[in-house]
Amino acid sequence: MKSKISAMMDGELAEAELAESMHALREDGVAIEAWREYHLISDALRDTQILSSGFSARFAARLEQEPAILAPAAAPKRAEHGRYRFPLAMAASVAGVALVGSIVYMQWQADPQVARAPVPVQAESVAVAMPKEADDYLRAHQNYSPRNSLQGVAPYVRTVSETPRSR
Amino acid sequence: MKSALVLLALLLPGFALGEPPSPQKEVEAAAWLRKIYLASQKLSYTGTFVYRQGDRSESSRITRLVDSTSDTEKLEALDGMRREVIRKGDEVRCYLPDSMIVKVDRRSNQLSFPALLPAQLSRLPEQYQVVKEEKTRIAGFDCQAIVLKPKDDLRYGYKLWADMQSGMLLKALIFKDKGEPVEEFTFTQLTIGANFDRERLKPTFLGQSKQWRVENAAVAPANLAEAGWTVNAGIPGFHKVVEVRRQLRESQRVGQIVYSDGLAAVSVFIEPIEPGRDPARLGISSMGAVNIYTRELANHVVTVVGEAPALTVRRIADTVEYHRPQ
Repeated sequence: MKSKISAMMDGELAEAELAESMHALREDGVAIEAWREYHLISDALRDTQILSSGFSARFAARLEQEPAILAPAAAPKRAEHGRYRFPLAMAASVAGVALVGSIVYMQWQADPQVARAPVPVQAESVAVAMPKEADDYLRAHQNYSPRNSLQGVAPYVRTVSETPRSR
Repeated sequence: MKSALVLLALLLPGFALGEPPSPQKEVEAAAWLRKIYLASQKLSYTGTFVYRQGDRSESSRITRLVDSTSDTEKLEALDGMRREVIRKGDEVRCYLPDSMIVKVDRRSNQLSFPALLPAQLSRLPEQYQVVKEEKTRIAGFDCQAIVLKPKDDLRYGYKLWADMQSGMLLKALIFKDKGEPVEEFTFTQLTIGANFDRERLKPTFLGQSKQWRVENAAVAPANLAEAGWTVNAGIPGFHKVVEVRRQLRESQRVGQIVYSDGLAAVSVFIEPIEPGRDPARLGISSMGAVNIYTRELANHVVTVVGEAPALTVRRIADTVEYHRPQ
């Protein structure tokens, strides 16, 4: 839910998910807390004014007043058994997603292509098989890396490195 | 609802990292990141740092001057092959005396560089847990350590040490999985302030380089989708930051799309296979935190370069598709 709240802050949720997240914000302290936390962190990074201490309460109160707009169709059902079904369904779908996710991941791991790739992954060693144009790519890439904003031109030391070249 | 959330918390990978830090701590750590960023924008300095990766270790001198009219930075390698990088504003010149080449790159004005980070900084907590850690001394400076722990295995972790007073970054460590170092930058000597000889900023090879070959990379905004290329990065948190066409070596029209999660960046290069060119080495190769994956598609070479794990780079490369424009 936290990631949904964060996506909601970025305006990236589809309508159905938005309704679900808004519902969570109304119902649950954890979601509200996530909302508040993300805003605080994001404000600290942007140096905008930190939310006043009563913001969460006021926001919750405002939300409280707007239930009909948020989930108009589902409202009558929810009064009977939806209250129990909804979290279960949601949990189940999340479990499904997690399962599919891990299967996809395992397939990825097991992908024979990886093993057949001409050069194995060796994170630590200076790969002799670095393309001889690697420096050019790295330089072109480095220009747009956010790392520049923290370290200036220091990371360029990689791009003009003594990577063994095939001459 | 509560139980569903707890279940969610257990299932989502981001929450498997143990007890999350209190919001107050996370806010403090985020404020430190901002301090480091601001320091990197306004401080002048000169110093020596060591770059370590695997069993390789190299010293470089770095000098930076920021004043009301200019922003100049110079990097000189002190070990091994002679080379120098000088950045003035948006222009980066790389002097390679052994091959007698000056490579000039200009950032597209589509993306003004100093504005790059803050917008993305605010997204960092979605992908990284930002934690304030120990205080320690580096090169004579009292430093605060900040750790960015990735919430999945699609990006590396970062540990940054910044001067308590100025926010200047004294050390940066990139780590993977359970904290194994991937690469490290550490200042061994640093003087903050503009109190140095301006000669230090001039290219060492200025006189000789007049005879050298100058390779100018023309960069222009582009829309690769119109040419039939789609890249669905599909990696959580990675957003497209720039899309250009550029010159790269002899190839005039190389497409480049950059994705970033605010800290890590991955570039996708797409270039036509030139007749007579050596065939590309297909596969993955690594140097420190950088992974490069090369594949061929529709008579083009697709090269994905990024400061991200091999898995991420490979995944992005595999999503590149070509459909002949109708």
